[in-house]
Amino acid sequence: MSGGYKQQPGGGGNETRKDGKRVAGKQSFSPPGSGGSKPEMSPRDLDFIPETVGGKEKQPAGSHIHDRARTGTTVGKRTTLVDANAKVTGQAWYGDDVRLPNAIIGRIVRSPHHYAKVKSVDTSKAEKLPGVLAVATGDDAPNSFGVLPVTKDEHAMAVEKVRHVGDLVACVAAIDEATAREAVSLIEVEYEVLDSIHDMKKGLEDVDEPIHWRGKYHVGTTNVQKRVFQEFGDRSMVENPNASYHGKWKFMGVNHGFTEPHAVVAHWDSNGRLQLYTPQQVPHYAHRALATVLDVPMHQVNVIRTFVGGGFGGKSDPFPHEMCAAILSRKSGRPVRITFDREEVFWVNRGRHPSHIEVQMYADEEARISGFDIDALIDGGGFASFGHVTSYYNGVLATAPYELGSFHYTGARVWTNKPASGAMRGHGAVNTRCAVEVGLDDMSEQLQVDPIDLRLANLLPPHSRTISGFRITSNGMRQALQRVREGSDWDNKFRKLPLGKGIGIGCGFFISGSGLPIHWDPNKFPHATVHIQIDMDGGVTVHTGAADIGQGSTTAVAQVVAEVLALPIEMIHVRSHESDTSPVDLGSYSSRVTFMNANAAIRAALEIKEKILNAAWDALGYHPDTLVLNDRRIYYKHDPAIGMSYLQALHKAQEDKGALIASGAYRSPPMGGVHKGAAAGLAPAYSFSAYVAEVDVDIETGLIKCTDVWAAHDCGKALNPMAVEGQIIGSCHMGLGQVLSEQMVYGRTGHLQNPNLLEYKIPSVHEMPNVTPIIIESCDPEGPFGAKEAGEGPLLPILPAVVNAVYDAIGIRVNDLPLTPDKVWAAIAKKMKLEGIDDPADLPVPRLDFSELQSKLVARAAEHETRDKRRQKSEDTDAYVNGVLFGFDPNVPLEDQVEGWMSSDKPTPEQLAELGLAGTAWLKEEQRNMGGGN
Amino acid sequence: MLMPPFELHRPSTVEEACAMAASLIESGQEFDWIAGGTDLIPNYKWHINTKPHVISLARIEGVSTISMNEIGCMARLHDIAEGGNAHPLISEAASKVASSLIRRHATLGGNLCLDTRCFWYNQAEEWRSSIDWCHKCDCGTGSDCRVIPNQNTLCVATYQGDLAPNLMVLNATVHLIGPKGARSVLLHDFYQLDGMTRNILEPGEFMLKITLPDDVADWTGSYRKLRVRESWDFPEAGAAAAWKKGDRGTLRVATTALESIPRRHDEEVASANGDVKAICDAIYKSTKPVNNTALPPRYRRNMIKVLVKRACEE
Amino acid sequence: MVGEEHVSMIPAAPSEVWSAEVNGQSQEVLAPSNAILLDVLRDKAGCLGVKRGCDMGTCGCCTVLIDGEPRLSCLTMAQDASGCEITTVEGLADGAHLAPIQQCFADHGGSQCGFCTPGFLITSQALLTKNPNPSDKEIACAIEGNLCRCTGYQQIIESIQAAASIHRGESELANPASDAHPDPHPSGPEEPTMPPGHAR
Repeated sequence: MSGGYKQQPGGGGNETRKDGKRVAGKQSFSPPGSGGSKPEMSPRDLDFIPETVGGKEKQPAGSHIHDRARTGTTVGKRTTLVDANAKVTGQAWYGDDVRLPNAIIGRIVRSPHHYAKVKSVDTSKAEKLPGVLAVATGDDAPNSFGVLPVTKDEHAMAVEKVRHVGDLVACVAAIDEATAREAVSLIEVEYEVLDSIHDMKKGLEDVDEPIHWRGKYHVGTTNVQKRVFQEFGDRSMVENPNASYHGKWKFMGVNHGFTEPHAVVAHWDSNGRLQLYTPQQVPHYAHRALATVLDVPMHQVNVIRTFVGGGFGGKSDPFPHEMCAAILSRKSGRPVRITFDREEVFWVNRGRHPSHIEVQMYADEEARISGFDIDALIDGGGFASFGHVTSYYNGVLATAPYELGSFHYTGARVWTNKPASGAMRGHGAVNTRCAVEVGLDDMSEQLQVDPIDLRLANLLPPHSRTISGFRITSNGMRQALQRVREGSDWDNKFRKLPLGKGIGIGCGFFISGSGLPIHWDPNKFPHATVHIQIDMDGGVTVHTGAADIGQGSTTAVAQVVAEVLALPIEMIHVRSHESDTSPVDLGSYSSRVTFMNANAAIRAALEIKEKILNAAWDALGYHPDTLVLNDRRIYYKHDPAIGMSYLQALHKAQEDKGALIASGAYRSPPMGGVHKGAAAGLAPAYSFSAYVAEVDVDIETGLIKCTDVWAAHDCGKALNPMAVEGQIIGSCHMGLGQVLSEQMVYGRTGHLQNPNLLEYKIPSVHEMPNVTPIIIESCDPEGPFGAKEAGEGPLLPILPAVVNAVYDAIGIRVNDLPLTPDKVWAAIAKKMKLEGIDDPADLPVPRLDFSELQSKLVARAAEHETRDKRRQKSEDTDAYVNGVLFGFDPNVPLEDQVEGWMSSDKPTPEQLAELGLAGTAWLKEEQRNMGGGN
Repeated sequence: MLMPPFELHRPSTVEEACAMAASLIESGQEFDWIAGGTDLIPNYKWHINTKPHVISLARIEGVSTISMNEIGCMARLHDIAEGGNAHPLISEAASKVASSLIRRHATLGGNLCLDTRCFWYNQAEEWRSSIDWCHKCDCGTGSDCRVIPNQNTLCVATYQGDLAPNLMVLNATVHLIGPKGARSVLLHDFYQLDGMTRNILEPGEFMLKITLPDDVADWTGSYRKLRVRESWDFPEAGAAAAWKKGDRGTLRVATTALESIPRRHDEEVASANGDVKAICDAIYKSTKPVNNTALPPRYRRNMIKVLVKRACEE
Repeated sequence: MVGEEHVSMIPAAPSEVWSAEVNGQSQEVLAPSNAILLDVLRDKAGCLGVKRGCDMGTCGCCTVLIDGEPRLSCLTMAQDASGCEITTVEGLADGAHLAPIQQCFADHGGSQCGFCTPGFLITSQALLTKNPNPSDKEIACAIEGNLCRCTGYQQIIESIQAAASIHRGESELANPASDAHPDPHPSGPEEPTMPPGHAR
């Protein structure tokens, strides 16, 4: 590489800078025994040590079990990502940057049909083309795979059928890209075109040729992949409501839009092991799927995660092109690289499901939320992907942060002949959350109360259970609402702004790691394992399988290890790229990495710390409890002059043993109910967020400009506030795209019309509002140093906040996302017609006159605030379950107190008659009940 | 994405370029011109109407003048927007094109000769094969139009350039040159239906420069562009208006991104007797956008009323 | 997709010598006459820091400086950049030091996944060279052609402002690459400090 970046030690020679500073290239660390440049001891940074262990860090949410492990080193400090230098110098290696000697180029033959039987594939012409080194088809890899063990419905290349335009049919590898592309065009495929399905509603109907066949579990002969029915609470409460909301929502599908297209390099090494380089969020599942598809044991595959140029859920499935590269490489004996064009990224998709969501919500005379009825029909596209889970998340993740009288959810995911939907940031929760939060806004309007006060008076407290049985631990929802209200000057703006300007509120609730490790059951493997090794040089090598996708998980791991061992973060070296050296980690999805992986890392680091302190005990004679671990020095608490250096203690600890090693693991505690689907949505902790958004609406064109956002997110404890703020602002950007401009447009013929970054409209810098990130620290009792997730939850509130702000601005609710200007304009035109006005400047703007309920809500919220504070600090440890607000005793099962309190996972025959759109999936019998299906 | 094979020619004078064009025409070889490349290169990567030869105008000297009365074909939009030498209306329009990075490449000539766009057409080869191609790039299959099926004569792809309406309302003249010599026409006579014909350029001809009338500095106006994002996006509809300072009777209006060509609306303006609302209504009636861009045609058509009204605001 | 419908990719266009000053070093390689600069930089000149995101000029990941001007290498014919001075992200660092813009992107969260970062750095560097005192609005206009999916741009603007203040000489790098972490407690030649009578 020419003239590039040279920061290798020694690279600077004897140069000095103009300002007299020593040049880079000087090693930052003195070799053992060298004396160093600051021999005196610097004090610990007391500002970053909790009050409970003698520091100055305020702990409004109480103490934490990890307080004793804090050393004031990095936790809570703005920390540069440990891989930032690689990224700013161009040295970070992404998928397409892996260049192996003799590598050849792979390309994929894709279906031009929405749905067809593959009758024959003739590869002979391609094989004869000079330069073509391998060709493969579905016959080369008959084993199926899928990210979830219950729905393995994918193949490397089409076996029998193609299911959407762009589905894989065959692949070729050739000496260069031109030859590979040419060879693709020479492969002749004979198809028998089948009737395709594009409208998800049609997926509920019986058809001759369902897109997949699930045997005895198949629902009728429909394209229903998964159906869910859940009901909790007392349904009679929703009768005679004081206010109610009924909204039919339509959400277009959105794509992750990461900047790095998928790319993979496969190489069978000289020992016949597969080395597969791929930008994966979840290398372990890819590892499993590769072994299955290629028919080799897992230990013969090494999955090497490259840097990941953005994931957001879009790089978390095992992908067929990864299999293709491995197959082509095995056939040709050469490393094979496959890099996607942008439209291929859209064809592999896995973006957010297009959805039809119907929400009915009810409030009683005291403005308590007496019921949520949610019906979500989601469009899964051609494959299952994560859809089994998404089907649940669309409902169950709406069961908090509010206390509910009853909850009723019907969901269905159908296959259609589109690129598969899957997991995307805010997985499954985003669309329903938007509908529900807008519903609350609407009900507060009917009740003539402030929507923030309505929320504040209906929140579940910390340490409580939701109506579906989720265990809430820390809960910063209330502070989040209060802080955004304050920051945005809400009380002086809401319902008071002129026509065209509006302000709106939205909240979010999300899992911090999914409680059930999907591939594990029934084995009791941990969710995350971290190995730490320290050799005599004193540097700490951390082995983890956690996949850094830009969110900073590697930095988080380095930080917690540095914190426990009181070492500069530069002494922590995280090795996370190879499955050969990394202990298994479930990957970067469900916002699990910080919580689970950092917890595992803390455990491993504590074990190391114990070994070092024991050595110091040996040498100094003071019990470890009385020793303080400071920056590379260990000393006696009551007399800092008595002590030894970290290296001395380390070398002592290494006597007869050599390098110190430790392993730490995390497994979530047993949680949750026993009903069908009880595991979906279970998490060891949950994050909470509240946003206020301000918008300008051009009443003549319908163009919406979001100008300001106050974004409060409860992440438990910000290990790295800079990264948390980055996640909040970034989530805002992505959510704003979904609410204002982004959509996967399927045209008249069912083709995806905008598979490129010009027509798929991700907001530019000009569309970004001024975001004020507000970090709420509720100090989760089980989180690493109190931390919870910050990567996905912050996306949720921006959608409803904007929709509500638009209503505040123009008095119109549009239930069809994204709110592109044409839709808003059409809604304005409709309203003008309805109101009989000619000039949009005469549109009525909503105004608010408080009813007497308002003061009741304020009083109730104030009481709850006291309650919550006591519970948060464990001054009040009484049980609290959803229902207490309605007067029930938390210590007696609700079923025993309330007649009609139920928990059910199947509709009763009477209910079948009144089901929503997705609910109609329950009208069909499964094949096994019809005596069919094999 | 890899470019399909073609031979790139890089003449260094206008004469050389014309001679190259002439010799390619003589030998029956097809070719395209390339200026900034922001339009042609993505289309070529997608294998859209590629030719075996491409003649680049990048090396030709003296064709990037920017002054009040003349702009050369290779003047970069960035320089037109930021240089301070062009007419303010032209700078304003240029500053609204695509993104700051694209404007560093894009040229006046390229923007005026922009290929018409359509979401059935601006797609990768594999994608277009899945719809069995379309009329504008039928790959020899005789495919139908995908926007308006069952008509096989016209292409309704949309012209989405920003500069054209602005130059039209300032009465710009385009100067063309080719193997058969030079000629000049008013810009509003330069465009020609339909989405495939696009303009009056003859084989081998290219646009050398535009000139503006001597009194253009006395004219003022504005350009309104409808787009979802303030960066990257082509206009979904655009309206330019200009008038001689202090004389609203001279008002001229032109629109873009509604049809296969940008149009100046002299008749509509004349019929309205200076009433802006009447102008808006008349233009609304005379335009018929189709469904081939990001926003629906009904909306774009309605918006032209708002855009024209705003462009005419003093 | 058989026969004439497909635009044939072979035989490739004839190769020509392509030479340029890439990051201060002259490079001379053979490239097809119709090659795109992005492909030449990545595949022939070894500049893998130049990223391919959208391949059509939207994402800006492939931005490089050509004779000091930021250009999209995916929309540049390689031959048109022949003979020019090209700076990629690999050429931003001044010898052993990160450029202020690089350090500030690292320190202020301007880079998350990092894929768009090379493009942003080049665009920002070009801005700061011309205008060391940009307003937030001017920064936004300069980076409007770069797409970032992670950061929401806000921390990128903060990073650029921080670098601008260094360019103006108002502040220094927060984290200069010299002796950031001297070992405060080296193990010296002396024995561990022990209180009398306390040895185990």
